[in-house]
Amino acid sequence: MGRVGIGLALAAFAVALTLPQFAGPFWMGLVTQMLIFGLLALSVDLLLGQTGLFSLCHASFFAVAAYTTAILQVRYAVPTLLAAPAGLVAGTLLALGFGLAVRTRGVYFILITIALGYIVWGVLHRWSSFTGGDNGVTNVPFPAVGELRIGSHTEYYYFVLAVVIACALVYRVLIASPFGLSLRGIKASETRTRSLGYRTGLHLYAAFVLSGLLASLAGVLYVYYNRFVNPVSASFPISVEATLMAIIGGSGTIAGPFIGSGIILGLRNWVSSFFELYATVMGVVFIATVLWAPDGIVGLVNRLRAARARRKAL
Amino acid sequence: MTRDRIRRSLRGLAALLAAVGLAAPGAAYAQGGPIKIGLLVPLTGPLATPGRDMVDGFNLFWEQARHTAGGRKVEIVVADTTCNPDQAITQARRMVHQEKVHFMVGPLCGHEGPAVAQVSKETGVPLLMDTAGADTVTKWDRTPTVVRTAVSASQIGHPWGEYMYKELGLRNVTFIGQDYTWGHEVTLGAVKTFTALGGKVAKIIWNPIGTKDYGPTIAAIPAESDGVSAVVVGVDRVRLFEAWFNFGMDKKKKIYGGYWMHQDALPQMDERAIGLIGNSLHYAAGLDTPENKAFTEAFATKHKRLPSWFAESAYTTGLWSKTAVDSIQGKIEDRAAFLNAMRTAQIKAPRGPLRMDGYDNPVQNVYISKIQKIKHPVLGEVMTNVPIKTYPAVSQFWTWTPEEFLKQGPYKR
Repeated sequence: MGRVGIGLALAAFAVALTLPQFAGPFWMGLVTQMLIFGLLALSVDLLLGQTGLFSLCHASFFAVAAYTTAILQVRYAVPTLLAAPAGLVAGTLLALGFGLAVRTRGVYFILITIALGYIVWGVLHRWSSFTGGDNGVTNVPFPAVGELRIGSHTEYYYFVLAVVIACALVYRVLIASPFGLSLRGIKASETRTRSLGYRTGLHLYAAFVLSGLLASLAGVLYVYYNRFVNPVSASFPISVEATLMAIIGGSGTIAGPFIGSGIILGLRNWVSSFFELYATVMGVVFIATVLWAPDGIVGLVNRLRAARARRKAL
Repeated sequence: MTRDRIRRSLRGLAALLAAVGLAAPGAAYAQGGPIKIGLLVPLTGPLATPGRDMVDGFNLFWEQARHTAGGRKVEIVVADTTCNPDQAITQARRMVHQEKVHFMVGPLCGHEGPAVAQVSKETGVPLLMDTAGADTVTKWDRTPTVVRTAVSASQIGHPWGEYMYKELGLRNVTFIGQDYTWGHEVTLGAVKTFTALGGKVAKIIWNPIGTKDYGPTIAAIPAESDGVSAVVVGVDRVRLFEAWFNFGMDKKKKIYGGYWMHQDALPQMDERAIGLIGNSLHYAAGLDTPENKAFTEAFATKHKRLPSWFAESAYTTGLWSKTAVDSIQGKIEDRAAFLNAMRTAQIKAPRGPLRMDGYDNPVQNVYISKIQKIKHPVLGEVMTNVPIKTYPAVSQFWTWTPEEFLKQGPYKR
């Protein structure tokens, strides 16, 4: 990150901190949602942007974590301190199982992850005595630890913001580490990385599980925000949307998935309130991204800056 | 819609100018300010057509009522829920926090129901649930600020089971059901009353929403069953219809619609539908009452088509809420009084007389209807559902007491 990057990050942080001063509850809710889905997109991008694996089952970890936390909190009155970690564990355990999909590559990996995603959706949908079927689980309370409890959407926004910043920092350390470097090596050329002595399969498996953990974290944050979860959260479109967010914002970057999430959710929830053909706007944005900004918004900005620097140098 | 926005902004500007010019009558303005209603319906996605019907029905009512209730102006804000609970929650929160609506109407899709009810619960803004039909909302999982103005899923299933046994004389029925909550509850409600009388279930075949091919379903119907009951929604209604006739099943077996040939799907079907029993529902566009005639004629004049039950339901929700607001002299800010007025009002709707039971669900007629071609004063020759049998004042608990029914638990496949 250059000096401009740090400046931008600080400016964004300042805006994020003061946001509740000038934004109403609807906007606070929407921005919270953007942060949470940005985190989900970031988890997808750990695979897509760093290792080149295209996973379409991340909604599964997201939903299983959300359901676990919701069911424990609502039906068994388990306190947040246990229910939230339990959600993380459940989602990560699922990732440990689904991670075996990294034995395949390319289109086979995509197909297997789609199938796995549908299994989870099917179970949540059909096993209605336990999951509530279509009606899902309602009345999830705000998180509370002992006397400390979150009482409003604004307080929850700050909580989510803190978690997201912590995740972004850890993610940055992770991709800068030798492990992260080896992941990018695998993306560039798996055979070469393997011939250098790396156990590429194991690296990919570890990346998959970490990515599942991150998606589970997004799931737990989501269920406390929405206070309701139903099988739609495990559905195929959610996985696709998370991938789209990463691609539109800029795959392989940290800010990208959050920017993408902001654009997609913003278009859907805000533009739809005054423009009926908002779906068309989304379609145009997708096409424009593919045509003119294949590296997403962040890639586009970098390209423009590089071009300006080159002009200056001349 | 855009014009509405412009009008609203102009009105806002006028109000602002008035406030700047005359600071004193500000309080009076707040008292008589407009009543805002948030209508949450899918305008895009798989259920966009019924969503549009709801908007048309709702607007028709308020146009007839000149956009006034309890002496105050009424403003309607529409939001697109896309039939996705996440979107529904966000839009409901927008309605409450951004648009500051006094109460909400909607949503349409069953699984959006609990999501929007959640927002009503956390903010205290009343929700008139229309047309989401999840049984649990008015049975096991009730919210004090939510009342239903449409129908519970199994409320239309119960009479259907009895009708098949008693009037159609069926004894061994194959049930085709749509595989999601509404489909389960309607189908299993009919199975319950049908088997209670002694009927036998040959087979229940579940199909997910959006099933492309009904061939396998039709092939799976056991030869010995003496009738088929269909509960299908969305585009599946037309697919089942086509498959049934393409396979020549009309010559082999009898099929009856428990929830099938609604008015919005009839234009996509053809004359082969005539004579079939199409629905067991709380509304049929061919209903012969003065209220319904006035309603269907006004709707047909405006939209060049007959209303579906979604349009009627939204229209009636408008009527019901206006009746309630009128009875409390427009003091919509008193939420408890408004909800109480909703719960105690007696309504003469196009679909018949309505009142709430003690569990916030309407007690209403259920009509078994046959598809017939009628001469409509506005539209000329048109196919529609004509009632052939009426079950008057059906409760969501059918003949059981609420306690008995609640003890049984929800219908689940």
